[in-house]
Amino acid sequence: MIKRLANRLLRWYLHPDFYPDISGDLEELYLRNRAASPVVADWKYMLQVIVLFRPSLMRTFFKNSIIKDTGMLRNYFKIGVRSLLKQKAFTFINVMGLAVGLAAFLLIQQYVKFEESYDRHFADADQLYRLTTDQVVDSVLGTRDAMSFAPSGKALVEEVPEIIDATTTYKFGGLIFRKGESFVTEERVIAVDEHFLNLFTYEVLSGNTASLLSEPNSLVLSESKARFYFESQDPVGKTIYLQDFEKDFKVAGVIADPGQNTHYKFDILMAISTIKERLDQEAWNGYNYYTYVKLDKEANIDNIRPLLPALSKKYMGDDNTLVFNLQPVIDIHLYSDLTFEPEIHGSARAVSFLNLISIFILVIAWVNYVNLSTARSFDRAKEVGIRKVVGARRNQLVFQFMTEAFMINVLGALLALGLAELALPSFNNLISKEILDHAWNDEGFLRNVGLFAFVGTLVSGVYPALVLSGFRPVMVLKGKFRNSKQGVWLRKGLVVLQFTASLSLIACTFIVYQQVSFMRSKDIGMSIDQIVGFRGPRSNNENFATQTQKRTLFAEELKNHPEIKGVAMISNLPGGGSSDVNSSSGGIKIVGKTDLLEATTYVLQINDEVINLLDIDLIFGRNFDRTRGADTATVLVNESFIKRFGLEVNETIVNEKIQFGKNLENPKWNIVGILKDVNRSSLKNAVEPTVYFYNDAPPQVMVKLEAGKYQEGLDVLAATWEQFFPNAPLKYAFLDERFDSLYQEDKRFGAVFGAFSVLALVVATLGLFGLSSFMAIQRTKEVGVRKVLGASVGHIVGIFYKDFLSLIVLALVVGAPLIYLGMNQWLDGYAYRISFPWLFLGLSLLIVLAIALLTVGYQVYKVAVLDPSKTLRYE
Amino acid sequence: MKEYQLGEFEEIVLLTVGVLYPEAYGVALKDEIEGRLKRKVSVGALQSALRRMESKGYLHSREGEPNTERGGKPKRYFTITAYGKKALDHSKDVRLALYNAIPPVALDFKFT
Repeated sequence: MIKRLANRLLRWYLHPDFYPDISGDLEELYLRNRAASPVVADWKYMLQVIVLFRPSLMRTFFKNSIIKDTGMLRNYFKIGVRSLLKQKAFTFINVMGLAVGLAAFLLIQQYVKFEESYDRHFADADQLYRLTTDQVVDSVLGTRDAMSFAPSGKALVEEVPEIIDATTTYKFGGLIFRKGESFVTEERVIAVDEHFLNLFTYEVLSGNTASLLSEPNSLVLSESKARFYFESQDPVGKTIYLQDFEKDFKVAGVIADPGQNTHYKFDILMAISTIKERLDQEAWNGYNYYTYVKLDKEANIDNIRPLLPALSKKYMGDDNTLVFNLQPVIDIHLYSDLTFEPEIHGSARAVSFLNLISIFILVIAWVNYVNLSTARSFDRAKEVGIRKVVGARRNQLVFQFMTEAFMINVLGALLALGLAELALPSFNNLISKEILDHAWNDEGFLRNVGLFAFVGTLVSGVYPALVLSGFRPVMVLKGKFRNSKQGVWLRKGLVVLQFTASLSLIACTFIVYQQVSFMRSKDIGMSIDQIVGFRGPRSNNENFATQTQKRTLFAEELKNHPEIKGVAMISNLPGGGSSDVNSSSGGIKIVGKTDLLEATTYVLQINDEVINLLDIDLIFGRNFDRTRGADTATVLVNESFIKRFGLEVNETIVNEKIQFGKNLENPKWNIVGILKDVNRSSLKNAVEPTVYFYNDAPPQVMVKLEAGKYQEGLDVLAATWEQFFPNAPLKYAFLDERFDSLYQEDKRFGAVFGAFSVLALVVATLGLFGLSSFMAIQRTKEVGVRKVLGASVGHIVGIFYKDFLSLIVLALVVGAPLIYLGMNQWLDGYAYRISFPWLFLGLSLLIVLAIALLTVGYQVYKVAVLDPSKTLRYE
Repeated sequence: MKEYQLGEFEEIVLLTVGVLYPEAYGVALKDEIEGRLKRKVSVGALQSALRRMESKGYLHSREGEPNTERGGKPKRYFTITAYGKKALDHSKDVRLALYNAIPPVALDFKFT
């Protein structure tokens, strides 16, 4: 491996005339060394190749270039090294700043690239669209749903010639598989038809590609699942037992693992013909399927979209408010925000925010170089003068200073590579994604490191090089040198820029944290402490009544234990995603009080213990009561439900009736009570208008444990479960953890933001440290004179502070509106948001101020305490 | 010396090429120099000296048969040209003349 690399290198640079015999010599030596140790032989080979890198043996690379002028070039490097070594603090600050800035920038860029790469790896990815379902009432767009009707894909292929293929898929909520003697819950199983792999071009590793996924009761496993179930054996033709279907499924094939960068993740594919009965039954009645279509290469989506409303009417009926829509698959991860997404999607906004931070950090590092090198121009003015006097041309001086910038940038880039490599595990952890294993051997990353070493040289090097090379020798050597007014202004401007960037980042971090902690601590209208939730077992061969009865008995048994405070059952556990709820889009009205309202109404089924267990306020009316037989025709509603009709929430609503749909024969439901609004999901979304139906034993079970005895409670739960459902695994989660996981993305965003803001601040502080040190040293004599005339140390520090304070105030003036606008917009993405926290803007200002004053103060103090008799003795 | 430029290492290589006649090629030269002078010689240093002297005309080279032991690569055998011989003679003469010109007293060490 190393030898091959070395040989490639050799072949690249060596003169082709010399290559055959020299490589022969090397081979001979290599064979001799290999007898002792192959590894050592490899490295010796490499070493020889490196030592062979000499001008007399090289082929011609550049004709007539400056590189050939090696004498001057060598001189530039020599001078560069000397000046970098002479000003160690300056070099250190610049190299460190660039390294941190570049490492942060490149890591974030890697992440941004990853987020943008979602679903682009399929062949013809730009021709793939997801069929979604919009609700449009009186041409007002209502809820947009990611799902569609089962037959719709096929219908579109028939109706629209530009749509050449379609696949219908169904996502299971988790199925129980048997592995040997134990049971495994597979969360990511989807049922798909045989077209699926035409659209999503996963590589088929084994199995007959043509017939894959067409036969009922057949599966296609991902590579890692195949290994999990069958280890090294060939899984094709073998069977796996599925508890939920109570039969064996045949494994028809194995495909490559779907990567992390797809919005529709799965481990196992099932032929959708297995659940054909269900598809036929739902047909055009329920849209619970993800449908994807592929457009012809020539097709234009804008020509297809206008056809969709008519088609929707044709298949779903004239009076239907649902409309097909097509959404590019490559946009789903970052831009889609529909209900019932298959996973918590990424956010284009978060990505662009991060992008912005990374640019900030890098710019801050570059600004450091510009500021520090122009600030110390005084030191080098004489050098420039002498060089010019002895005949240096200006472009030679520019080249010399560019060489220095280049050296610093290259050092910074190398260190950045090391830092990135070290920080990678924490970075992966921070973003909870494995975007990169190693930085040092990733081609793209290395290319970027190289690229930015050059870009950085140009961006940060050009201005100082022009300034430094522009001094007029007569002026400089006469000693009449002063910093130009423009230069000072530019430097001050750049410092303001740095302060503004740091201030904004810190303020934004605070605001993000504040919003997240607000959402996590806000009263959601119910009490979720000490409650575990899990799904009751499902079984296909026991009928519905038996299952319900078993669940009820299980609940009653649990209640007999003192460690268990209560048990309640509900159709969807609180703390689920936005799609973890049922809904009805058929329109609803309160009979005799309102007209039919075409809007989505959310539906939960609860038993009569849920309200008490979750401690939800019943504002008017009464709770369900299982002893009343009539409660099967009653509902509870929440405040939002009433308010959406434009009605006031009061007791007159109680005992009114609601009716779904247009058909006047539809059943009417008596409202027996009104519940306070509760947030069943993330506070990003407003409370949904919800109707609660009564059900004796809905599938999800919530168990409230006695405070302080929760371990015992869990033991009781596990034992009782084992006793009732010995064949099913028990998987429970605490409700507060479920809620917390809803804010994962936000928390992660906050953490990433925070970490990089601190880095930005560190880099900016480094720069300030260097800058103030130069300024203080340059004004040493002034300080001496002031001291002689009676100024105190405090007074002198104050004079310096005045300069920097005005810069910080300016940064605040520039930054505050930007922060306000940017963050207000970000906060507007949340249904429940904090009002703009001016306090935190102040706090961020204090932090920046404190750091700046400490840094500057330290440098000035060092100069101010010097004995004037020493600083002034040469005057 | 202006006529015949010959560095110290170059001279050693040139002499060794003579010693190994007619089998002087890279690895053999390296082994020989390392054996006689007890110093490490890198392929790079050796080869660049050889090529430099070839272009100056001190050395002549010919390609040998491809050899499987060397990954099917040919050896390149070097021989001293007449001009190379002159350069060696010149360098030897100069040194000898200098050596002989040292007054005997300078070599007459006394330990006091």
